[in-house]
Amino acid sequence: MSAGLAIEAKGLLKSFDGKPAVRGIDIAVPQGSIYGILGPNGAGKTTTLRMLLGIIEPDAGTRSLLGHERPLEAARMVGYLPEERGLYPAMKTREAIAFMGALRGLPLDTGRKRAEILLRENGLGDYVDKPIKSLSKGMAQTIQLFGTIVHKPKLIVLDEPFSGLDAINQGRLEHLIRDEAAAGTTIIFSTHVIHHAERLCERIAIIAAGQIRFEGLVSEARDRLRPHVRLKTRASDGKWRAALPADAALRDGHWDFELPKGGVEPLLKALMEGNAGIEELSVERPGLHDAFVAIAGEAAAREMEEAEFGEAVR
Amino acid sequence: MNVIDSAWVIARRDFLALVFSRFFIIFLLAPLLLFGFSIFFSMATRAQDRAAAQPVVAMIVDGPTADALAQTRQRLTANTSEQTFPTLRVVAPAENLAAQAQNLLADEKGNYSAVLSGTLERPVLTGPRGSSDFVGRRMQLLVDESRRTAALDQARAAPAAQPLERVVTEQAVGSLHSSRRALAQGAQVLIFMITLMLATLLLSTLVEEKSNKIIEVLAASVPLDAIFLGKLMAMLGISLVGLALWVGMLGIGLTLFFQLVSGLVALPQIDPAVGWPVFVLLLLLYYTANYMLLGALFLGIGAQASNIREIQTISMPVTMLQLMVLLLAFMTVGSAGGLLYWTGLVFPFSSPMSMIAMAAQSPSLWPHLPALAWQALWVFIIIRLSSRMFQKTVLKSSAGGGSIFSFRRKAAAKG
Repeated sequence: MSAGLAIEAKGLLKSFDGKPAVRGIDIAVPQGSIYGILGPNGAGKTTTLRMLLGIIEPDAGTRSLLGHERPLEAARMVGYLPEERGLYPAMKTREAIAFMGALRGLPLDTGRKRAEILLRENGLGDYVDKPIKSLSKGMAQTIQLFGTIVHKPKLIVLDEPFSGLDAINQGRLEHLIRDEAAAGTTIIFSTHVIHHAERLCERIAIIAAGQIRFEGLVSEARDRLRPHVRLKTRASDGKWRAALPADAALRDGHWDFELPKGGVEPLLKALMEGNAGIEELSVERPGLHDAFVAIAGEAAAREMEEAEFGEAVR
Repeated sequence: MNVIDSAWVIARRDFLALVFSRFFIIFLLAPLLLFGFSIFFSMATRAQDRAAAQPVVAMIVDGPTADALAQTRQRLTANTSEQTFPTLRVVAPAENLAAQAQNLLADEKGNYSAVLSGTLERPVLTGPRGSSDFVGRRMQLLVDESRRTAALDQARAAPAAQPLERVVTEQAVGSLHSSRRALAQGAQVLIFMITLMLATLLLSTLVEEKSNKIIEVLAASVPLDAIFLGKLMAMLGISLVGLALWVGMLGIGLTLFFQLVSGLVALPQIDPAVGWPVFVLLLLLYYTANYMLLGALFLGIGAQASNIREIQTISMPVTMLQLMVLLLAFMTVGSAGGLLYWTGLVFPFSSPMSMIAMAAQSPSLWPHLPALAWQALWVFIIIRLSSRMFQKTVLKSSAGGGSIFSFRRKAAAKG
């Protein structure tokens, strides 16, 4: 494994019943970073995470988890929240958290103590001895998240952690992720909600149709697109029009176009010298969503938006 | 964590979840209730069955003949049993004896098997012969004995009244072999019954994890072998708790029963060839081995099912398989060689039951060591195969290559 990487995967391949699900994925997650895997449903995010964790074996390729080629050897240092949440319904919350810790080598007594602290610190002290089946879905999900971190792992893997949570709990989860990262824990999570990745991640991988379309810093993804200019002028025509790029479009009295390679200053100078009569001029940096559309394609972006909307409706 | 530590975490959770569930009491009481009901109904129906099965012979004979036959029957049944001879019932003669005999044999209420007429010198038995001619042969005995007694009475010669002299010994080879065979089969049935009761539980034990999606968390944390082994250990613990309770209750019941009847009947003396302490230890070991072998197999089969309906579908063939294994083990009792004997000993699933039969009948101890090692090897093989199959078909993952015996050292990560 390369130094400073918590996860490194090269050429991961996986097919189910002859249909390729993941087609040669390379990932490098630096230690202590928050890393997002973005992609629409069925892109191969969960399969990739399951291969990284050793739940399933790849058909080809290599992976290393905290320096271990056999992921289960690093199990004590890893926390995992799967996409399909699961807890024993009859178990009490404290026991459920302690049990998940015990699976990762944490002594049960320590697990119980930490579980109690986690529950009380998060306003769930009244639920310490309540069975899981008596909790709401969101609360049960929170319990499972506590079970994921109770043994203080060095690496936390979260598969679609925000799905099923209301806005308040999504905010709490974001807070928790930031806290864990600040404490030096590496966090990798998959999501189809772009703004979570945009707010949290330093690095991302964009996956579509089982392939990595982009891997790198969020800023690098954004920088793939030129900044966008929105311009309103008093003059409708004149010499200044020559300063606009050929694909500039007039919509609702505003010109929209990509910032020319020369930058803002030459554009501004040409507009002023051409007596455009600038009423409004704004230069907008493209968001991750725009970058995603450009990288993964319109169809993938639409799919993700629909999935996000469907979840919000639910 | 190594496989055993991980298995222990799983086993502990499963064991406590089952013990503290409200159904555990039902699980514990079910065999006792079943046993109690069986005894009650068998006692209640035994008298009726015996009465219904006992042949009845109508006697259309003169008074002295009827008395002679009745006395002979009474004398002989005193030393055998009431079922040894047909019941005799005196019927007053009618004018047409042949027609009366036919009417009696057709009489639904009378339930006669035959009709005896004539005298002791010229008796006539009317009725069907039957496959074994039980009634004919026993009536011939009664008539012969009655004639002999009558002849002795006429000669005023009293029969020799010298009682049989008894020299009492501890044991005889014939009865020892027979009691050990009974013990061997009893031990086999005990192992079989308890494993049979747990078969459905074992088949369905992974369904909870699959339906609750917990399997994903488990599979990401511990090796699949540990999940399978842990589940087996938990169920073994459950069965041992049950076994301790059932055997304890049975022991108390039998002790009380034998104290009550000890003055009335001679208790059978059963002594296993290896002695009781070793036999009990071997019984526990072979029960564990049998449970682990079949348990690993059922767990593996059950792991492939995705819901309870599929489990129910699998249950019947699994029970048939267990019965076939029991029959194979039965073949080894009282046998000392031959293909079936060796198959029973070597075939992994029948080996524990065959070996406990050997412990009851043969004093050799050394064969038990290789047998237990052989069975442990198969437990290991089946767990590995089951977990690999689970990984391949349920988790849809290639099993990672290598043979089932291949291990790479699982370094304990420091974390």
